[in-house]
Amino acid sequence: MRRWVYWVLVLVLAAGLAAVPALAQQKVITFGFPVDYTRVYVFVAEEWTQGMVDYLTLMNLKGGVGGYTFDWRVVDTGNEPQRGIEAYERFRREGATIFNFISTPVSNAVAPRAMEDGVILLMPFHGRSDAADGQTFPWLFSLGANYWSQATVIVQHILEAEGGNLRGKRIGLVHIDSPFGREPIPVLEELSRRLGFEFQSFAFPSPGTEQSATWAQVRRFRPDWVLLWSAGPSQSVGVREAIRNGFPLDRLVSVIWLDEKDMNIVGAAQARGVKRFEAAVPGREHPVVQEILQKVYQEAGKGFGKIENVGSTYYVVGIASVAPVVEAVRIAVERFGEPVTVDKIRAALEMVSNFDLNGLMPPITITPQDHEGGGMGRISQWDGSRWVPVTDWMSAFRDVVWEMVYKSSAQFRQGQ
Amino acid sequence: MFYRECGVRHTTYAADRALAVIPFERALLVLLIVLAAAAPWIVTDLFLVSYLTPWLIWTAAVLGLNLLMGWAGQIHLGYGAVMAVGAYTAVHVARAGAPFVVAVAAGGLVAAVIGSLFGLPALRVRGLYLAMSTLALQVIVDWILVQVPAISGGAQATLLVPRPHIFGIPLVTDQARYWTAAVFTLLVALFVANVRRTDVGRALIALREKDYAAAVIGINVFYYKALAFFVSSFIGGMSGAALAFLYYRAVTPEQFGLNVSIMAVAMVIVGGLGSIIGSFFGAGFILLAPIWIEHGLRELAAALSVHISPSTLAHLPLVIYGGLITGFLLLEPLGLAKLYDNVRNYLRVWPFGYTKK
Repeated sequence: MRRWVYWVLVLVLAAGLAAVPALAQQKVITFGFPVDYTRVYVFVAEEWTQGMVDYLTLMNLKGGVGGYTFDWRVVDTGNEPQRGIEAYERFRREGATIFNFISTPVSNAVAPRAMEDGVILLMPFHGRSDAADGQTFPWLFSLGANYWSQATVIVQHILEAEGGNLRGKRIGLVHIDSPFGREPIPVLEELSRRLGFEFQSFAFPSPGTEQSATWAQVRRFRPDWVLLWSAGPSQSVGVREAIRNGFPLDRLVSVIWLDEKDMNIVGAAQARGVKRFEAAVPGREHPVVQEILQKVYQEAGKGFGKIENVGSTYYVVGIASVAPVVEAVRIAVERFGEPVTVDKIRAALEMVSNFDLNGLMPPITITPQDHEGGGMGRISQWDGSRWVPVTDWMSAFRDVVWEMVYKSSAQFRQGQ
Repeated sequence: MFYRECGVRHTTYAADRALAVIPFERALLVLLIVLAAAAPWIVTDLFLVSYLTPWLIWTAAVLGLNLLMGWAGQIHLGYGAVMAVGAYTAVHVARAGAPFVVAVAAGGLVAAVIGSLFGLPALRVRGLYLAMSTLALQVIVDWILVQVPAISGGAQATLLVPRPHIFGIPLVTDQARYWTAAVFTLLVALFVANVRRTDVGRALIALREKDYAAAVIGINVFYYKALAFFVSSFIGGMSGAALAFLYYRAVTPEQFGLNVSIMAVAMVIVGGLGSIIGSFFGAGFILLAPIWIEHGLRELAAALSVHISPSTLAHLPLVIYGGLITGFLLLEPLGLAKLYDNVRNYLRVWPFGYTKK
């Protein structure tokens, strides 16, 4: 009676073993997305991951790139470095070669391993800002404007709005008291020396759900412009405090982390005028987003999440953060031929040139020196129902940014 | 069965006070040590890197906290900060050129000094008040790490950990790191097991039961409380350093935040206060259960071909995990160690269960 159970087990095992080489022969490039669904990055993780996966699904539905299709592994890390490392080690053994953790602490904790193992680690809008230095960090890719570049773009916008002269103006930075919140300070200090504006920073303690004391100080400073530097729930609190203190909202510019949800929390109509840094075009008008809606959601029914999320701010950021990699795979097949290895993808990423996904994102050009891709972005403004761009894609004060990058990466090399 | 005591005759004091009296347990201990040493050939390297190594180092940390909470009866909500002090000190010392062993010891020492400094309120307050003052340590250390880039490693607040060497042999492979962690944990476990059967251990237990009564029978409460904080923080600091060198390879403030302190306390309580084997169980359960529950659910969903959204799949393990902790503590308030002990006691007299009192 029992014996047949063993036979079944043996058969299953044999079938499993037979299946392994069959899988290995397929031309698949695997992504690892161990992200934080449950703790700190909840505000962005769901939509961002959905954007990445939906874009890869779209590529698969269109037959892949150069004969290669994409696979992905998604898991929750709870923003714990320990769980991120576990997921990294597991996915890497399952064949994943490209990772995006969407979490600064987890990315930074995994970075030394990725560089030792030769695995591509994407750090768009999180992780190490100095990952822009491709010579020091050959395996890390920012693929988007880091926080220093975002600060310069925002100041450039202010400069243009003030008619090219900031002498005597006052710019305040309201930021969360964390390494991330403090990151733009040296850049803004340098720019204040150069452009002659008065700069002061105002920190509020994490998690930033209470900022009234900080804004009382801001009021005393009488700033002409305020930069909002935080993420998640504290952002809507910041905007609300600005309204309460009578600060003109069209002079309030946020870092990239401000989206439709935050505006609805403040009150969509009340928040009219708020500006922010933007790294990809939100909305559903863009042809790529249209194609995803049609092919992935309607025809194939393979959408990774809620259809309402499609086209949201962080959803398109997700698309923009994998599209250059897909482009790199295309280049790798074209230039280096098959089989496409992680080394070839890495080299091809450094050849991605002037890539903007038909205008969904600013054009990025990645070189062996520059893994940030130019640090471009634009400023958009909330009109009460959607984000409207007020500038073109631009970058500014690149020398200031690179000085920061090289200073920081030199510090890193000391520890190697 | 198994844990048989027949034939065990306590003819000398030394034999009576041995760490493992029952022959079966001695054999089990030897077997476990052999298995631990041979683990790189037994388990996959994923298992070695992702589960065994962090589990062992965390066990060492929990043993240190258990010395304080389980034996001396003093609560500590800032243990993550103690580990952070150890890790950051060790990394800075190693970056200055000191060898690995010296760096870890330095980490332990600095952590011990700072840890016992914040343990001083324990001489005057107890219970919840002590919880608050140790929490202050956590908040202060977190704040310093965020505010002082010189300590936390520049604008990115990440310090790369130099490659550890032991007596000139670089620990580059996963196996070498694992063995180092295993030896470290074994040493800490032996140390704590031995503390238990010395006069210090007995003094700590007396303290835990009632410090006035301990003072009445001639125990210097001041001295022993401070000693407990010092030793526990020393182990905590070294464990933090070991975690940085052998597992994380880069230190960031988030690795030692408040949630980590709570996790350490949870490990002690779920494992069992004042139990060495409980520290192993507790660290393993708290560290690995969420990951394995997640795997299990994923496999289950795939096997039943049920589609669960990734967000739900991320939250479901938290629910089950919380339920499991509550369940275990309902089943046995003294922790996982007591569950093991129940089995052991049952087997010890089996089949003559009625001989138990």
